[in-house]
Amino acid sequence: MTKLKNSIVLGLMCVLLTFGIFLQMRTVENSNVKVSQNYEENNLRAEVLKFKEKYDNEQKLLEKAENQLEKERESATKNNSELEDAEISIKKANKMIGLSEVKGPGVIVTLKDSQKNMANVMNIADFIVHDLDILSVINELKNAGAEAISINDERVVTTSAILCDGNVVSINKEKVGVPFVIKAIGLPEGLAALDRPGGYLQYLRQYDIEASLEKSNEITIPKYNGKLEFSYAKSLESSN
Amino acid sequence: MKKGKVTMIFTIAIACFALTLVMFMQFKIVNETDITSIETMREEELRTELANWKQKYEETVQQYDATQKKIDEYKTKKENNVETAVLVHDELEQSNILLGKTDLMGEGIEITIKETQEDEYSRVKDSDLITIVNALKYAGAEAISINEERIINMSDIVDIGSSFIKINGQRILAPYVIKAIGNKAYLESSLLGNGGAAEQIKKMGHEVQITQNNNVLIKKYNGDINYKYISD
Repeated sequence: MTKLKNSIVLGLMCVLLTFGIFLQMRTVENSNVKVSQNYEENNLRAEVLKFKEKYDNEQKLLEKAENQLEKERESATKNNSELEDAEISIKKANKMIGLSEVKGPGVIVTLKDSQKNMANVMNIADFIVHDLDILSVINELKNAGAEAISINDERVVTTSAILCDGNVVSINKEKVGVPFVIKAIGLPEGLAALDRPGGYLQYLRQYDIEASLEKSNEITIPKYNGKLEFSYAKSLESSN
Repeated sequence: MKKGKVTMIFTIAIACFALTLVMFMQFKIVNETDITSIETMREEELRTELANWKQKYEETVQQYDATQKKIDEYKTKKENNVETAVLVHDELEQSNILLGKTDLMGEGIEITIKETQEDEYSRVKDSDLITIVNALKYAGAEAISINEERIINMSDIVDIGSSFIKINGQRILAPYVIKAIGNKAYLESSLLGNGGAAEQIKKMGHEVQITQNNNVLIKKYNGDINYKYISD
């Protein structure tokens, strides 16, 4: 009797496992079919991955170098109080410009396209998150005293533009997709005003866009990964 | 008899364990392959993607070289206070430029918007100005001001009721004069054309004038730029 029971249990387990494996094999096969369609495309893909990796490695090197520069600057200025002040100003400025990672209290806003059945909707465009929606949320956060903002970990800097690019949105010319996770550092209670009755999040909810706001005491906003340098604008203040 | 049973159970257990392990490994692999991005791209998209990553890589290399150069300069001039001072002040000046603490001059455009529609619904709103600023930034604007109010990283543009607009907490009134420094041709074309921000405002019945200029002057931000909640 127990032998029969054992056999059944074991048999069932085997069937389940085999099923799972076949399912995975099929999934992998399916995605492979699409990938191996074109030799040229595969080469390009490999090339893209290669540069992505090179970029990642270079970013790591850059980060190390930036930390080292900070240390060098610190040690070079520590014997002179006037220079020390300048050194602190540079550090502070880098945080506000977006050239270094920042931490602090704040809020996290999440925006998602409407999950509503689109079959009986007049204008689908009303129910997805647009660039102007994100711009408005960012503007309201700035109005509420935000000190640093990121969208899907893309830091908002002084030259950041947000644009609808087909059905993805580009920020700092990087594509990001839904859900949009907007982080802001500032007084959490102040920033939470975004969720007030009549505020912009409520307005978005009218269109069934899923908008939520969450306060947090420890938010980390990454640094801007691009190059921030002016080539057209020249300062009118003479150096030193 | 009993010994055989134990061995069998043992073998099966090991087999099950191995199978589950393989399954989880596969789950992980499937999870990690980023099917959504480059796997499904076509040749054209892949080419732009490649150009994009190449450019980003090269920019990072440049940034790295510049940082390394500064490190070396600090190292060699460490002993000399005067030379160190020059280095630190150069860096501080660069920071101040990016923050918006200096007056800037360069080629660019000036946009003048004259409100000719009085009624509440067609007046120029905060979102119109936000759209223009965003379009200018997309076209590579390095500095922007509206009625001499400098747009810095954390500047806000808000309607106060339906009577006026506040930028950086300062009240500004029509006509709006928007200045931007950058490639003047790019900047101008970013606002024109169907769907362009300037075109939209013209359609509302307002007067919009764009002029290119080789010496646009943009004043520095007037207030104090600081933070309270970012931790040091």
